[in-house]
Amino acid sequence: MKRSLLFAALLCLAITVTAQTKKDTAKTSSTDSLMNSLSKPDKGEPVIATFKATRLIFTQTTETVKKKELNFLVIHRFGDLAGAQGGGKTFFGLDNSSDIYIGFEYGISDNFNIGLGRSKYEQLIDMHLKYYLLHQTTDNSVPVAVSLFVKGGFKPYHVETNIYDNFANRFAYFTQAIIARKFSRALSLQVAPSYVIDNIPFPLAPTNENNFFANSAAGRLKFSKRMGIVLDYFHPFSNYRNNSIDPKFYDGLGVGLEIETGGHVFTINLSNAQAISEINYMSNTTSNWGKGQFRLGFTISRIFDFNKKNKSSY
Amino acid sequence: MKHIGLILLVWFGINQAGQDIYVCKNAVVNIYSKAPLEDIEAKSDKGTSVLNTGTGEIAFAVPIRSFVFQKSMMQEHFNENYMESDKYPQASFKGKINEKVDLSKNGTYPVTATGVFEAHGVKQNRTIPGKLTVNGGNVSLATEFMVACKDHNIDIPTLVFKKIAETIKVNVTATYTPNK
Repeated sequence: MKRSLLFAALLCLAITVTAQTKKDTAKTSSTDSLMNSLSKPDKGEPVIATFKATRLIFTQTTETVKKKELNFLVIHRFGDLAGAQGGGKTFFGLDNSSDIYIGFEYGISDNFNIGLGRSKYEQLIDMHLKYYLLHQTTDNSVPVAVSLFVKGGFKPYHVETNIYDNFANRFAYFTQAIIARKFSRALSLQVAPSYVIDNIPFPLAPTNENNFFANSAAGRLKFSKRMGIVLDYFHPFSNYRNNSIDPKFYDGLGVGLEIETGGHVFTINLSNAQAISEINYMSNTTSNWGKGQFRLGFTISRIFDFNKKNKSSY
Repeated sequence: MKHIGLILLVWFGINQAGQDIYVCKNAVVNIYSKAPLEDIEAKSDKGTSVLNTGTGEIAFAVPIRSFVFQKSMMQEHFNENYMESDKYPQASFKGKINEKVDLSKNGTYPVTATGVFEAHGVKQNRTIPGKLTVNGGNVSLATEFMVACKDHNIDIPTLVFKKIAETIKVNVTATYTPNK
């Protein structure tokens, strides 16, 4: 009995001591440490706004249009600014348009988009699907964002030759994995390994491949909250294109200024590629910056929101 | 059996130690902005607060990223352009309740808290009115105040087509439980 009493007394003492220390910490650190422990971010959150829009100059970004939002796109490329086709006689290419693209993108979910567009170049009608597979997280447990992009194109125009006797020849496909990282508030970079399938490759040459790999590299550097410089580059890994002398093919390179105005994103750019759709520009870029064959271009992206309007209780 | 009574007494003592500190982990914060084109409203239920009824100290914080807007583009602009939530992840208030409230009596008490309100990295000395409600040991707090964007260097560029209101109404409700 005595022993158990002693034990109980010791136990009580121990508990009192812990109670005392608890009371002390509560007093000294007061609300601060408690607050810190409460508001500590427990896990990484997805990084947002890696890019402002779903496109830079040539390439798609990892960004998707959010659920029930419709993105209306008008993309324009003028004629050669300098060189044989440019200069004062065409008002630095503004009298010509090498390509005009009008398209729509719709968010089926926040991560899944469907898109439809038409180009002047090859009169290409294309449809695409895009899926935002992986979101970069703030704690870097996922260091990059990954989106998958698939596009199917159809060339509907009438021809006098027999190249489209086989209807399947009118189709071309493009698929891409876009890997991006937002390094800081200002800097985002991406690479996009791609694969092009032309059912009939243009130009029509015996050595031209139907399928080839390609790669894009692009980035954005913001210099203010709403403005940034964008740079976009692509290279087709095609033996025919790399070795052909006439026509000679060039890698695409574009530089632009991106301006966001809350709902609109404008991009004004200079680039050598004439075409806007991936299927066209990957297969058929024969203009050379060095010969003045670069052009002014712009992209207007306007988001319409079909989520129900907010009824405020304000 | 004597020692069991002792243990119980000590146990009671432990509970006693934390009794005047109350915490809330799911405070609801609403923000409203009335603009000519569209009313904007966002809600977060991830506010945290600590209330020390002994000293009257009160601390409050809400993660900026936790605000949910009806339009996801607005939410992105709110984080990316206005609040810069990657740089300034939370808005907070730290201060003292000026009035002494007797928590043993049920009722609703109008109170004011004076302290520092921080949003977008800018600290402002504010006295914020609120209502403290005691109901059978449950403590809850409700407050509503205005925040002027320019007080916190939240700039609204002239380039933005949709006008955004220059003052935002903030509405907070927190229900506290004793800290154990």
